[in-house]
Amino acid sequence: MPAEEQSVKSREAIFGRLRAARQPFAGARSFAEPIPTVPRTEPDAVALEARFVREAEKINCVVHHPADAQAALEAVLRLIADDQAVLAWAPEHIPLPGLAEALAGRGITIAGAKTDGVRVGITGAAAALAATGTLVVSTGEGRGRLASLLPDVHIAVVRREQILPDIEAWFAHLRATDPQVFRAASNHTLISGPSRTGDIGGVLVLGAHGPVEVHVVLV
Amino acid sequence: MTPPITSNNFIPAARIALADPTLQEAFTTGLRGVRANRLAAMNAFGAAHREALRQQGAAAKRHALSRLPELLEQAETRFRENGAEVLWAVDGAQAGQYVLEIAARHGVRLVVKSKSMLTEEIGLNHMMEQAGIETLETDLGEYIVQIEGGTPSHIVAPIMHKTKDSVRDLLIEKLDMPTTDVAEEMTKFVRGVLRPGFINADMGISGGNFVIAETGTVCLVTNEGNGRLSTGAPKVHIALVGIEKIVATLEDYAALVQLLARSSTGQQVSVYMQLINGPRRADEPDGPEHVYVIFVDNGRSQIYQTPYAEALACLRCGACLNNCPVYQSVGGHAYGSVYPGPIGSVLTPLLNGIENAAPLPYASSLCGQCKEVCPVDIDLPRMLLDLRRDLSARGKDGRVWALGLKGWALLMASPALYRIGGKLAALATRLLPIRSLPGPLSGWTAHRVMPRFAAKSFREQWNDRQKEARDAR
Repeated sequence: MPAEEQSVKSREAIFGRLRAARQPFAGARSFAEPIPTVPRTEPDAVALEARFVREAEKINCVVHHPADAQAALEAVLRLIADDQAVLAWAPEHIPLPGLAEALAGRGITIAGAKTDGVRVGITGAAAALAATGTLVVSTGEGRGRLASLLPDVHIAVVRREQILPDIEAWFAHLRATDPQVFRAASNHTLISGPSRTGDIGGVLVLGAHGPVEVHVVLV
Repeated sequence: MTPPITSNNFIPAARIALADPTLQEAFTTGLRGVRANRLAAMNAFGAAHREALRQQGAAAKRHALSRLPELLEQAETRFRENGAEVLWAVDGAQAGQYVLEIAARHGVRLVVKSKSMLTEEIGLNHMMEQAGIETLETDLGEYIVQIEGGTPSHIVAPIMHKTKDSVRDLLIEKLDMPTTDVAEEMTKFVRGVLRPGFINADMGISGGNFVIAETGTVCLVTNEGNGRLSTGAPKVHIALVGIEKIVATLEDYAALVQLLARSSTGQQVSVYMQLINGPRRADEPDGPEHVYVIFVDNGRSQIYQTPYAEALACLRCGACLNNCPVYQSVGGHAYGSVYPGPIGSVLTPLLNGIENAAPLPYASSLCGQCKEVCPVDIDLPRMLLDLRRDLSARGKDGRVWALGLKGWALLMASPALYRIGGKLAALATRLLPIRSLPGPLSGWTAHRVMPRFAAKSFREQWNDRQKEARDAR
């Protein structure tokens, strides 16, 4: 009997047992006014940006503060160094004017999404979260999940006005603007620093299966 | 000979663990940092804030459990709208059969797996192996467990029982790793070994730390990035999730996912928090074409009907293991279950049958640390005591214990017998140099010195003092 047919019967059995139970924790309710996990202390956008930088650096991100768009582009090109190919989001989703032309001008190609062995991946972000130094990357047209994952070096170009206080604030922002945005993307990943592991003898190692370096370029 | 690892062998297995110096070293070093980090992270904003966060987490999980059937239905509807397929499995065997059927449907030959306790619980790897489908564990610790042919000893850090040196030796022996003592180089080596697996695998299997009902979202929490690769690179992704993993809203998820990180590893947040809504959209450049969510019951709906339903609130953070004096001493394998430590001593009897895990409710000093550190305030000591009561009611106590309790009841019910018994014990322990008790009672004095009873009982001393006070007036 195929899985789908069995599943219908199993569903009935499971729901039958759940509904037969005397409802546990009847009346329990989630907090109506959620408490943010990290207390919010930043009075303005300047303090919020400083907090983001501090927290991101604490978890081993490298944060770049280029003076203008040209300097930002140069910072990214310096990180690409002599590589012939990068993984990247479609350039129109990376807030770095002239990126596509600059890459083409140097003969750097954007490799196919699932290409292994490429050293640098470049993305934008949907938001950045100050309390935890977190980057939010959401999938969509021209925005894949592997560019921020397969390469050793992940560069995220983030607009300063994308910085929000925390995860709770990102969800509140989604609810306030367009609640459908959340479900329209198949995947959101909140990235907090380079990948890491402590599995071997409890020793912290940066760079497990994901990037070894995460660079945030603030524009 | 090592006894086979089953929960009923807890006591001999614990003895062996206590006598194993490598194991003792591994757990001592492994747990020290984790405990300190948890404490610092939970208390980062003061004790009052910590307690408020715990109560917030506890409320979110209990809210979800109270509305479990309707939230599961909502999640199912949302997942289908998101393009994911939803299947329901009553037990592990059925879940495994679904996985194999899906694998066959998509011509799958190689599977990459992200760490999942549920798949350990149902023995999925074994089923895959039997069916001839190559399955790679990709969490560093789980991969080492897999090549060793062992089992995890901790629900968060699977190779807590291994020192750095023993991992090195294993990697050299099994994979010809160039000799090194540096954890960083060992990690890099395994990364290189597993990377082609991620690229070539046809299917990825994950668990789910949370499922958000209002949006139809599987949430995964990892540090290594293997969860992202397993679910993002292959063309098929199967998420196996326990039916208790539901949370109602994005806000409840936000509260719980941060508690999980603080409580588990002492991080503010884990490196990767993934929110998976379904298969890749038509215009997305990568991601799985098919996403299946398999909701697995495997005994949970039965637990839901009992006073032990609170155990279903568990986040699997491991804090109760890390802070349990028994777990610290004997490690994870002695419990003979994928779930060791205090939460394991509650879940294992409930999932596998209390008669198959009779020693576990007693594998606790009831010191209460487990409840105190639990991020969602599960009353583990209460449930351990209740399980002991259940065992007793089923006559699973053992003859000596049952006889002893009967004798005790007789003694306590009769003041005359109690008085005479006390007199006799006082006399015996003062006249004879009794240091340890004989026969079936020897367990009590194996690690304790038999005390001498006082010459006068409390009752006699009380009466004497009352009399003295009266005389003095």
